[in-house]
Amino acid sequence: MSSSTMTAEPLHLEKPELQVLPPPVWVDGGPSLAQITDDIAHPMEARPGKGWWICFGIAFAALLNLGGMVTYLIANGIGVWGLNNSVGWAFDITNFVFWIGIGHAGTLISAILLLFRQQWRTSINRSAEAMTLFAVACAAMFPGIHMGRPWLAHFIFPYFPNQRGPLWVNFRSPLVWDVVAISTYGTISLVFWYLGLVPDLATLRDRAQGKIKKFIFGLLSLGWNGSHRTWSRYEITSLILAGLATPLVLSVHSIVSMDFATSLLPGWHTTIFPPYFVAGAIYSGFGMVMTLLIITRQTMHLERYITVRHLDKMAKVTMLTGMIVSYAYATEFFSAWYSGNIYERAHFINRATGPYAWCFYLMVLCNVITPHFLWTKKARTTVWFLFIVSILINIGMWFERFVIIVVSLHRAFLPSGWGMFYPTKVDIGILVGSFGLFFTLFLLFIRVLPMIAMWEIKNVASHTVDHKMAHGVGGEQNKEVIRA
Amino acid sequence: MDHHGETTPAGRSCKSSKDLLVQIGGPPVYWKSVDELQNGPRVTGEFPGGLPGGATSGPRAETTRRDFLALMGFSLAAAGLSGCRAPVQHAVPLLVGSDQIVPGVSNYYATTCRGCASSCSLLVKQRDGRPIKIDGNAESSLFGGGTCAGGQATVLSLYDDGRLKGPLWQGKSATWNEIDGHILQALNDAQTAQKSVVLLSGTMTSPSTRAIVAEWGRSNPRFRHVEYDPVSLSAMRQANKESFGQAAVPHYSFDKAKVIVGLDADFLGTWLSPVEFARQYASSRKPEKNAALHIQFEPGMSVTGSNADVRVPVAPSQLGATAIALLRRIAHKAGTSGPDQSADPVDSARLDAVAEALWKHRGESLVVSGSNEVAVQMVVNAINALLGNIGKTIDLARPSRQRNGDDAAVAQLVEEMALGHVGVLVLYGVNPVYDYPDSQAFAAGLKKVALSVSLNDRSDETGALVNAICPDHHFLEAWGDAEPVESNFSLAQPLIAPLFETRAAQDSLLRWMGREGEQSNYYTYLREYWRKDIFPRQKELPSFEVFWDQSLQRGVVTLASAGGAAPGPIHGGWQEAANKITQSAKAAPQGNSNSYELHFYESVALRDGRQANNPWLQELPDPISKVTWSNYAAIAPALAAQLKLENGDVVALKAGEKQVELPVFIQPGQEGRTISIALGYGRTAAGKVAENVGVNVFPLTALAAGQRRLSAVNASLASTGGKKPLASTQTHFSMEGRPIVLETSLDELEKESEKPEALPTLWAERLQGEHSWGMAIDMNACNGCSACVIACQAENNVPVVGKDQIERIRIMHWIRIDQYYSGPAENPVSVHQPMMCQHCQNAPCETVCPVLATTTSSEGLNAQVYNRCIGTRYCANNCPYKVRRFNWYNYTDNPKFDFNMESPLGRMVLNPDVVVRSRGVMEKCSMCVQRIQLGKNLALQGGRPLADGDIQTACQQSCPTQAIVFGDLKDPNSRVSQLQRSQRNYQVLEDLGTRPNVGYLKKVRNPMERS
Repeated sequence: MSSSTMTAEPLHLEKPELQVLPPPVWVDGGPSLAQITDDIAHPMEARPGKGWWICFGIAFAALLNLGGMVTYLIANGIGVWGLNNSVGWAFDITNFVFWIGIGHAGTLISAILLLFRQQWRTSINRSAEAMTLFAVACAAMFPGIHMGRPWLAHFIFPYFPNQRGPLWVNFRSPLVWDVVAISTYGTISLVFWYLGLVPDLATLRDRAQGKIKKFIFGLLSLGWNGSHRTWSRYEITSLILAGLATPLVLSVHSIVSMDFATSLLPGWHTTIFPPYFVAGAIYSGFGMVMTLLIITRQTMHLERYITVRHLDKMAKVTMLTGMIVSYAYATEFFSAWYSGNIYERAHFINRATGPYAWCFYLMVLCNVITPHFLWTKKARTTVWFLFIVSILINIGMWFERFVIIVVSLHRAFLPSGWGMFYPTKVDIGILVGSFGLFFTLFLLFIRVLPMIAMWEIKNVASHTVDHKMAHGVGGEQNKEVIRA
Repeated sequence: MDHHGETTPAGRSCKSSKDLLVQIGGPPVYWKSVDELQNGPRVTGEFPGGLPGGATSGPRAETTRRDFLALMGFSLAAAGLSGCRAPVQHAVPLLVGSDQIVPGVSNYYATTCRGCASSCSLLVKQRDGRPIKIDGNAESSLFGGGTCAGGQATVLSLYDDGRLKGPLWQGKSATWNEIDGHILQALNDAQTAQKSVVLLSGTMTSPSTRAIVAEWGRSNPRFRHVEYDPVSLSAMRQANKESFGQAAVPHYSFDKAKVIVGLDADFLGTWLSPVEFARQYASSRKPEKNAALHIQFEPGMSVTGSNADVRVPVAPSQLGATAIALLRRIAHKAGTSGPDQSADPVDSARLDAVAEALWKHRGESLVVSGSNEVAVQMVVNAINALLGNIGKTIDLARPSRQRNGDDAAVAQLVEEMALGHVGVLVLYGVNPVYDYPDSQAFAAGLKKVALSVSLNDRSDETGALVNAICPDHHFLEAWGDAEPVESNFSLAQPLIAPLFETRAAQDSLLRWMGREGEQSNYYTYLREYWRKDIFPRQKELPSFEVFWDQSLQRGVVTLASAGGAAPGPIHGGWQEAANKITQSAKAAPQGNSNSYELHFYESVALRDGRQANNPWLQELPDPISKVTWSNYAAIAPALAAQLKLENGDVVALKAGEKQVELPVFIQPGQEGRTISIALGYGRTAAGKVAENVGVNVFPLTALAAGQRRLSAVNASLASTGGKKPLASTQTHFSMEGRPIVLETSLDELEKESEKPEALPTLWAERLQGEHSWGMAIDMNACNGCSACVIACQAENNVPVVGKDQIERIRIMHWIRIDQYYSGPAENPVSVHQPMMCQHCQNAPCETVCPVLATTTSSEGLNAQVYNRCIGTRYCANNCPYKVRRFNWYNYTDNPKFDFNMESPLGRMVLNPDVVVRSRGVMEKCSMCVQRIQLGKNLALQGGRPLADGDIQTACQQSCPTQAIVFGDLKDPNSRVSQLQRSQRNYQVLEDLGTRPNVGYLKKVRNPMERS
C-alpha cells in the first residue's frame, strides 16, 4: 500500500438557502376574520334573494314531479318504464351510477385532498361534501325504486335475526356488495361532513338571535367550546376520518363497476372497469362541483371565497381524469379487437355503428374532446366557458353509463333476443325529478348551513397568513418549504 | 248471512219470560227458539241446569279477573290471527262429491278435437271437474301424442266470454222451446211453399252426424246438405274424380316417401292434417335412416318451405307451369308423351334435378299441391301416377275425410238464395258472411231465406244476420265421433257439463227432424249408431257395452277398410288440363310495373279465423315472421328496397274492385312480385279479443271455374304513407356467425363418429341428488309449428300481454321458437330453434341474484323462487339466452290486460298446480317442475322406481315430431342421456361455460346431390 499524493480539495459544502414561500392565499380581497364569518353566515341570516327563489321553485317543482312519478311507478309496476325483456336496466341504473359518481368529488376533496394538504380545498370542501350526500341520496333511491317489488327491498340487507327461513342474502351477488359499499360510503360521508360542521355550528350558535335557533345550533354543535384541547382532538379525528374515507373513494365506484364487470355480458365483462369507473366518477364529480359552485358563487356573491383560481385547479383535475377516461374507452375497443372474442367485437362495432351510436359519439364529444379545451389557462379561468364545459361533462358522463348499460344489453348473445329501449315519460320524469331532489336539498343546504367552512377558510385567508408568517407559528400545513 | 234474530238483545226486550233468561243488568242472554223463550232452557237429564261452564248459565256469568285476562288474551290473539289469513275468494262447494273427482287429482279423458276439420284424437286433462289441458291421444295411429297450436288453444275457447250464454231468436234471448217452435213452423212452411231446406256446414267428419243428416235427407226430399270450407280442397276432389273416378281427398303417407315435392302445400303448418303429416315427415326425415329429400315450390315462406332441403319461390300463377314442367320431364323419363314444350317458370337445371330425384325414387315419392285449380291437381295426379305413387304414398282406397267442402255447391246455394228458393238455411260451424268471397251476395241472399238458423257458439258476422242462433256446445262439453280417415274412428265425450244454456247441434237437428224426447238425444243416437254401424265391423269384442266403454276409454277405433276398391289407372284428361294451364298462362294479361300477385294463406295461429277470439292464438308469434296480433302484407326484400318500404309501412292493395290496407312485412324468401297475406284476421264480431286485429282478406279471394282461388293476379300496390307498427317477438334473423344453431350434413354425419370433447371448466362439479333433469332438442325434427308454445302457456299459466306489450318486447312465453336465416335474402335457408331456460349448471343468473331467488336445485333444475324475488332483473340481464320473463305489470285481474286472466270464466283454464305470478317477479321455464313432482310422487306411491318417460314436460308432450326429449341425465339409459351422448349433440353458446342441461341435436342438411 503506497501512500500516494492525493489532492484533497476542500469540499465546498454550501448551506442551502431555505426560502419560505408565502403560503398561498385562497381568499381574495383580504377580508378580516369577522368579515369572513359575516359573509358566509349572511345567506343563512338574511332573506333569500330572487335568484334563490327561482332556482328553488324549479327544483322543488321537479321534486314534486319525482314524487308523483315514483308513486305512479310503485302503484302500477316497472312496466311504466321503457324497459323490456332485452333491456332490463336502463335509466334506473344509469341514474344510479351517475349519481354515485357525482358523489365522488366530495369525498376526494374532503379526504384525499386533506391528506395531500391541498389548501384550495377549504373553500369548496363543505359544499362538495354536501353534494356527495345529496348525490348518494339520489343514487340510493334508484336501487329501491327499480325493484319489481320495492316493498320487499329489505330482503337485500343481511338482516339479523333472520326470520325468513334459512335463506340469507347471496354474497356472490355484486348487488349485495353495492348495498354494503354504498351504505358505508353514505355513513362515512355524513359523519365527515357533520364533523366538519361542528365548529361552524358553534359559531352560528354564538351568532344566533332567536332562542330556538340558538337551541338547535347548540344541540348540533355538541357543546363545542373552542378550547385548545377541543381543537387538537378535532384535528386528529379529522385526519383519522380522512384516512378511513380515502379507500372509499376507490372502493365505492369499483364495487359499482363490478355490477357490470362480474357479469358475462359483452361490454360489461371487462377487468378495466374498476379504475375506469373511479376515474369517471371523479371526472363527473368535479364536473358537478364546478356546475354547482359557479352557480352559487354568482347567486350568493361568494366570488371572493370561491375564486377563479379554485376553478382553475378543478379544471386541471377534470382534464386529468377526463384523459384517463378517454384512455379507458380506447382500451376497451383495443381489447375487444385484440381478444378476438366475436361477442366483444360485435358489441363494440355495435357501440360505434349501431342504433345507439349517437349516444356513443355524444359521450366521446363530451368526455374525450371537451377536456382538451382546458389546456390553456385562459380557458380554465373563463367562468362561463368552464360552466359550459362542466355541463358537457355531466351530460357526457350520464351518456357513458347509458351506453355501457343499454347498448350492452340491447344486443347480447342471441340475436333473437335483440331489441331496442325507448324511454317513456316516466323514465324522463324520474331522471328530471332526481335533479329536482338534488337541487332542492342543495338549495336548502346553502340556506340553513354555512356552505363554506368558516373555520377552515380562515386558515388560508390573507389575514391569517400574515399573522402566521409574522409569528412563525402555524401547522406544517401552512408552509411550503422548497429547497432552492 | 242474516242473523238479526239472534243479535237482538233478547234478554232486555222480553222481561216477561222466565228468570233464567232475563238478567237485567247482566249480560244479554240469547234464546234459540220461541219455545225456549217461553219455557226456559230445556233441561236435560245429563246437565240439569244447562251445560256446565257456559258463560250464560246463571250465576257464573260474573267475570272474574282471570276470566277477563284469559278472554282478553284470546281476543287479542284471535284478532291478530284473523289478520294473518289471506282472503279466500272462491270456494268450490262439493256438497255431493263425485267418485271420479278427487280434489287435486287430474283425470284424463279421450276425445276428438274440433278446432279444425282434421279431427285429431285428444287426451284431455280434467282437474276438479274442469278441462284444463289438451294433448294428443298417443293411442291414435294417425296423429300420435302431438297436437298443433290451434288444438292446444281450444281449451281456452271453451272459457271464452264471447260465447253465447243461450239461444237467441231475432237477436234476443229466448227459450229453446220457443225457438224450436219457430223453426219447426218454418220447416213446415218451407214444405208447403216447396222451398228447399239447406244445411250448410263445414267439413263434417262425424259419421253419426252424417247419418243424422242423411236421415233428414231421406225424410225430407227438399233437404240438402252442403259442405263449405273457407279454405277448401274442392279442386282436388274434382280432379280426383276426373283422374280416378273418385271425388275424394286421398290419405297421404309422407313417412313412406323418400322424395317429397310440395307445390304450395303447407302440410306441416296448415294443410289438410298438419299434426299427422308433421309426425310422418319427421319420421321420414330422421338422419339416421337415410333422410327423405324435400323440395318445396311456394310463393311465400311457409312452415313447410322453411323446412325444405330446397325451396324455390314461385309466383302463384306459375305453380301450374311448374307442375307441367315437372310432368314433362317425368313423362319423358317414363317414355310417354308429356305436355307440349313450354318455357320453364323456374331454373331448368333445378327442375331437372327434382325430376331426376323423383324418378329415382318412383313408388316412394310424393308430389302434393295446395292449388285449388282442377287442372293443376290433374297434372299433379298425372305426375304421381307416372311415378307409381298411387296406392303407395297416396291412398285413395282409404281416403281422408278431413276436407269435404265443395266450392261449386256453395256457389250454387248462394245463387239459389238470391232467387229466394231457400226456405230454411241452417248454418253449422260456418261463417260465410265473414269468409265467403262475395260475402255481400251471401248476406243479401240470407235476407231472402225465410228462416236462417246458425248453430255457432257466438253471434258472429253471420249470426248477426240470421233469425235464430242455437249455440252448439263446445266440443269439450259434447258427445261426438269423427272419422278423419276412412275407418279410423275417434270418439268424443264431454269433460264438463255445458257451461251455458247451449245444446248439441245434433240434438237440434234431431229435434228439427221431428224427433222428440229420448229420440232427440244425440247421445242415445250416437250409441245406437255405433251399436249398429261400427260395432258389427269388429270381431274382437262380443259385447257392445264392453266395446263402447273400451272405445270411449281409448278414444280411437281403427277398423279394416269398409271396402272401396283401389283406384284404377289414371284416366286421360291430364293432357288437356296441362294445355289449359299453358293456354291460360299465355292469355293472362301482361302485368305492368305496378302489377303484383296476391297470395292468401292460413296462418298457423289463426287458420281460417274461427278461433280469432282466442288470446293465446292472437299472441302466438307466427312461426316464420314472429309477428303477433295482426296480419300483414309479406313482400320480398328486393321489392321493399325498390319501393322504399319498411316493416310497418301501410300499403293499399287493390285486386279487382276490392282494396285492403295492410302494414308491410319484409319476408326473406318471398317470391319477388308476390305479396302474401294471412287469412283469418279482421273479424268484426268474434268477440273483444279479435276486434280490430288485422284485416279480413277473404273478400279479395274469388271464385274461378267454380273453385275458390286463394290468389289474385294484377293487383296493384300503393303506399299510403301511414305507419302501423307490427308487434314482433323477434326482429333480427341472422345468427351473426355465432354458435347458436349448428348444422351438419348427412355426409359429415357419416364421417364423424366421435362427439367432440366437452370444453374444460374451472368450476367444481356441482353436487347433485338422485336425478339430473335435462333435455335434448332435435333441431332436425323441430319444424317450428309452435304447438309447444301454446302447450307451455296452458300448462304454466303464462299470461297474455297484448299487442302494445309485445311491441315493447315484453312477451311472457316461457318457450319461444327462434327463427334464423342464412344465405341470400331472396331465398334463404332457415332454421327454427326452440329456446327456453337452459337450466345451466353454472348459471349466470344464479350468481347475480342478491336474494337467492334463483338457485340450481339438487336435481339440476334452475329454480325460480317467486316469493323470494324482489325483481332486480339482474338475472335477466346476465342470462345469455334471454329466456327470463319479468312481470312488468300485474297481468291477472287487471283491467288494462283484458284477456282471459281478467275474466272469471277465462281463469277457469288456469292450472291449479302452477302459481299465478304477481307483478314484479321474474319467471321462466321450470321444466314443468309440477309434473316432475307429480311423476316422482306417483312412482313413490306405486312403490316403483321412476321410469324414463314417466315424466313429460308440456312442450315435449305437445310436439308432433318428438323433437323435445326430457329425462334424467343421471340415468345413462334414458333417452335424453343417449341423445346427449350422440355425436349430433351440442350446447348453445357452449364456449360461455354455462354448462346447460339442455342439449341440442345439430340440424342435418340433406344436399340435393345425394338423392
